[in-house]
Amino acid sequence: MTEKKFIKTNFDLCTGCLICQLACSFAKEGGYNPEFARLDIIMSKENLYHHPVVCRHCENPYCMHVCPVKAIYKDENGYVLIDEEKCVGCGLCETYCPENMSKMNKKAKKAFKCDFCDGDPECVKACPTGAIELAAVLKEEK
Amino acid sequence: MKSSYMGQFLVIDLSDKTSETMPLSDEMKNLFIGGKGFCAKLLYDLLPEDTDPLSPENVLMFLTGPLTGTAAPSMRGCAGTKSPLTGTFLDSFFGGHFAPSIKYAGYDGIIIKGKAEELSYIVIEDDNIEIRSAEEFSGLGTVETLEAVKKTLNDDKFRVVSIGSAGENQVLYSLIGCEYNRQAGRGGAGAVMGSKNLKAVAVKGTNLVEIKDPVNFKKAVEKANEELKQSPDVQALIEAGTASAVDFANEAGILPSKNYKYSTYDKASNLSDIGQQKHLWLKSSACLGCPIRCSKIGAVRTGKYKGTISDIVEYESAALMGSNLLISDIKATAYLVKLCDDLGLDSMSAATCVAFAMEAGEKGILVSDEVTLEFGNVSTAEYIIKAVAEKKKGLGELLAKGVKRASEEINKDSSDFAVHVKGLESPAWGPRGTSGMGLAYMTGDRGGCHQRGFPVAYEAGGEEWKGKQLDPSGVEGKGELVASLQDAQSGTDTLTKCDFGGFGISNETYSELLESASGLKIEPEEFDTTGERIWNLTRLFNLREKIDPKDDRLPKRFVNEALSDGPNKGCRISEEDMEYMLKDYYRVRGWSENGVPLKKTLERLNLV
Repeated sequence: MTEKKFIKTNFDLCTGCLICQLACSFAKEGGYNPEFARLDIIMSKENLYHHPVVCRHCENPYCMHVCPVKAIYKDENGYVLIDEEKCVGCGLCETYCPENMSKMNKKAKKAFKCDFCDGDPECVKACPTGAIELAAVLKEEK
Repeated sequence: MKSSYMGQFLVIDLSDKTSETMPLSDEMKNLFIGGKGFCAKLLYDLLPEDTDPLSPENVLMFLTGPLTGTAAPSMRGCAGTKSPLTGTFLDSFFGGHFAPSIKYAGYDGIIIKGKAEELSYIVIEDDNIEIRSAEEFSGLGTVETLEAVKKTLNDDKFRVVSIGSAGENQVLYSLIGCEYNRQAGRGGAGAVMGSKNLKAVAVKGTNLVEIKDPVNFKKAVEKANEELKQSPDVQALIEAGTASAVDFANEAGILPSKNYKYSTYDKASNLSDIGQQKHLWLKSSACLGCPIRCSKIGAVRTGKYKGTISDIVEYESAALMGSNLLISDIKATAYLVKLCDDLGLDSMSAATCVAFAMEAGEKGILVSDEVTLEFGNVSTAEYIIKAVAEKKKGLGELLAKGVKRASEEINKDSSDFAVHVKGLESPAWGPRGTSGMGLAYMTGDRGGCHQRGFPVAYEAGGEEWKGKQLDPSGVEGKGELVASLQDAQSGTDTLTKCDFGGFGISNETYSELLESASGLKIEPEEFDTTGERIWNLTRLFNLREKIDPKDDRLPKRFVNEALSDGPNKGCRISEEDMEYMLKDYYRVRGWSENGVPLKKTLERLNLV
């Protein structure tokens, strides 16, 4: 069996505090602004629902397929990453990710997305309620 | 150098549709820190003496603190203006997501002057400032407005504050809705916004709030979170918000009932967390950056009010829109509070106006052909709230002015049961039996308020003051207690911290958070001095605006009528009690016998 870690989201426990986004933006950008977080919390129905949305590091990543310069790749652990050096800031990954998890930094003209924090995501560590947690999929080896 | 201050204010003039930035000075940071401090200093400096609060010359400010928008737990924002309800200094703190977005747009605060020609809204995206027509949003509720603004801008990441029809009609106790279920509620900031023809403000931005010393800031955040975990008060708020205070206040005999006639209510549990959990709540929700999540969001699922999305009916609203009206159906109370929020009325003042009208009706002092004026009647409350928001001729017009002006208009001894201090309808804590709370109402800088110092914790909550249990209904030592609590509160309100965060987080930790984030070194005990400085400055403002120190007094009901029920049966706060406490308080404050700050006090506080 192989094991792949992923971030499991539990909308019923999410309070919309965005502490996950603060932790993420601080870890990745060196300052606080949820705009630059690599995950999102979608609020709806007058704040009754908070849906955490995280990068799924897809089996079949649209962002990677549409990247014209192959700046997006899958690493040996199966995480989908961006090589910033190669990124030309065309925005196609942002356009085609159905979950809006590849985003553009308009000032830097570079795309950014979740890199899974080397297997120990800051957002998971920061969440006070367990609305986002670390989980693993078990797969039979082929 | 990196700092969690953004270093500038955004100043918008609606009259000539211009905007400019104003740098944040070092003096401002050192003496006033942020939030309430900025509010007091800016209002004093920017407002010409004797400004009509509803004129274009008044300013409306949305201010942040140096830790707003960071991972420092439980920070909020502060709306500031001259109150049209009381004529006093007004600061009103709000949670939600709006205040952090001001920082992300690159500012420590937004200062709005002038008056737009037509109903308008402001869109701020970094340094792009746009003033747009809001004519199409006219008459919409606060929630509909914020959703319409987001839809028009095609971006739900804008954070929006808005007024409802009450604010547009300049009802004197209109609020500003701060998405979602958060309000700059007290004192009529929404009426000032309406007087400026300003329906909404939408903000987002791409600036980072930076930290001077990330290693120590991280440590301080961890310490703050640990203090929150260790605090039983905070843990209780995580469980049930402020709703559980309904049963506590009932048992302590400080729960207002029947327009403050009584201090207990036999159906209190229907309105507390017990009733709310059963009929409303689905889960916790939180303001940005807050682990306490005191909101319990839910919905009325069945019955007449079904479909109403309701946040927790917090203590003040549960008491004032529940027990104080003799309404015990929590679904009805939740509906009425939501109605106020959406029409844009402060539910505390609105409920007290309803209670006043119900009592005046039952006494035959007020006769209405619009509705039956009697306690317990939900339809009457609903009718009055809607009539007030549209200033409908009759009850609406009368009660839109607040109980002080309404009782002056009706006369016939109705001031006997008009419950307010300086025009601000009183909160839901006693104060008969907790006389320090009474003194806090008497001396609150924005009128009768429980959030500028909360002696109840020491008088009925079992906490010791300086190693001693205070006599709850006594007058001894209350001057010092109240002045100390006000200074402590004002000092940390510079951070725009939520009171609930302050239940757990120590001044030492606030000091560490502040220094590591911004570089500003404020010793833990220095917050109190800063608070005292602010308290004296707001007093100077109020004196300048002709607020008479003779109005540092309680409403007649608390003075003349001893309670006839509950553990505080027989308690009142007499004229002599008031005089004793006030004299003591002025002395402790370093004010004259007439309540005017002495020169030496102002010098000590760097205010001259």
